[in-house]
Amino acid sequence: MDDFKFPYFFNYPPYFTLQPVRDTREKQIQLWKELILKYCKHHKVFLINLEEEFPLFSNTSIDRRLTYESREVFLGALVSEGRAEWMDKGHKKCLILWRRIQDWADLILEFVHEYGLEEGVTTLEEIRTGDETQGTELAGIDRVVLVKALKLLEQRGKAAIFKGTSADDEGVKFSI
Amino acid sequence: MRRRPGISGLQTAAATRDQYRSLGENVAKIRTDLMMEQLSIFRSQLEEFARKHKNDIRKSPAFRAQFHSMCAKIGVDPLASNKGFWAELLGIGDFYYELGVQIVNVCLSTRPHNGGLIDLEELRGLLSKQRRSSRDPITDDDCLRAISKLKALGSGFEVFSVGNRKLVRSVPTELNKDHNQILEIAQARGYVTSEEVQVSLMWHSGRVIDTLETLMKEGLAMVDDGHPDGIRRFWFPCVGSTSGAVEAGSELSS
Repeated sequence: MDDFKFPYFFNYPPYFTLQPVRDTREKQIQLWKELILKYCKHHKVFLINLEEEFPLFSNTSIDRRLTYESREVFLGALVSEGRAEWMDKGHKKCLILWRRIQDWADLILEFVHEYGLEEGVTTLEEIRTGDETQGTELAGIDRVVLVKALKLLEQRGKAAIFKGTSADDEGVKFSI
Repeated sequence: MRRRPGISGLQTAAATRDQYRSLGENVAKIRTDLMMEQLSIFRSQLEEFARKHKNDIRKSPAFRAQFHSMCAKIGVDPLASNKGFWAELLGIGDFYYELGVQIVNVCLSTRPHNGGLIDLEELRGLLSKQRRSSRDPITDDDCLRAISKLKALGSGFEVFSVGNRKLVRSVPTELNKDHNQILEIAQARGYVTSEEVQVSLMWHSGRVIDTLETLMKEGLAMVDDGHPDGIRRFWFPCVGSTSGAVEAGSELSS
């Protein structure tokens, strides 16, 4: 699983310091944005907590790590592009949308068609961990992301989310 | 009593001049003919030589370099025109035009990283990697020749020396002596600290900071505050090797 290929700049120390010159900083931010999305996609990471260690943000072989400030800048740049969302006002937790909500919604529709659930009912847990989605892109999808994608479908009248019997078991009814 | 110049005297002088001129023209013509003859012999022999060694010239960098130095000695530039018989015979023009295009490509694609300044050795390394599958080896000399042809495009490609290294510049930046001296110090480890520059060049700190700031504005230097000792380092992507970093990257992931 750990065959992730780090780009050259990950081994070049100054990329771990926020650059003061604007042009250089813009290039630096661009590179980090791409790397964060690629890394999270590869490892299926949905949430980055800025207060915890995150392997991508330090490189022990060159003894460099990103400061809190630079993590916030890079993630903030993703947020402003719609490729990430802050989960709290303090900008401590960040949801990484390496696939846009729209694209997740499309994947769900594909899944629905494949299993003939056009008028059917399933639970969120089924989608995340059930046998049907095993081995597909949907397996292990973050709950928050899944809800966002289903809400998007709800807005379009293609799905309705409802509370299940237990508190943490929500269901969804498709009507496509 | 001296006779004053008369009409006949002038005529005689004019006739003499005419005779001299026609004689001179004759001599010149004979010389030109001779020269033409020699040239055509020389040309045919050069053609024969080129035809005979065409493959060697294309395949072997050492032979190519010798061929170039021979041409330089007799004042012939085989790259001067792609339409010349050299190009037809050797395709040697194409060789350098192709290399030139590849050089432009490498310089452009690495520009975001190095600010448009690249070590000749690194450039050649990246070129060889790109050409590895299909082509014959290239040397620094080949790169320099190809770059000198790029100058004709007015695109600002230039080679200059810093210390014992050669750097290729693809952006029209004017680097002065101060900049070059800092680059030279940076060659040792890829970075400098401002104290290090102060000590080794005996500059006062204002001059050091000014120079470093210019280099940063030009996109040639990057700051690094991440070292455990807390001393700010200024890195120069053009002297540190990108390809080395790429290799380190693949090691890390394997």
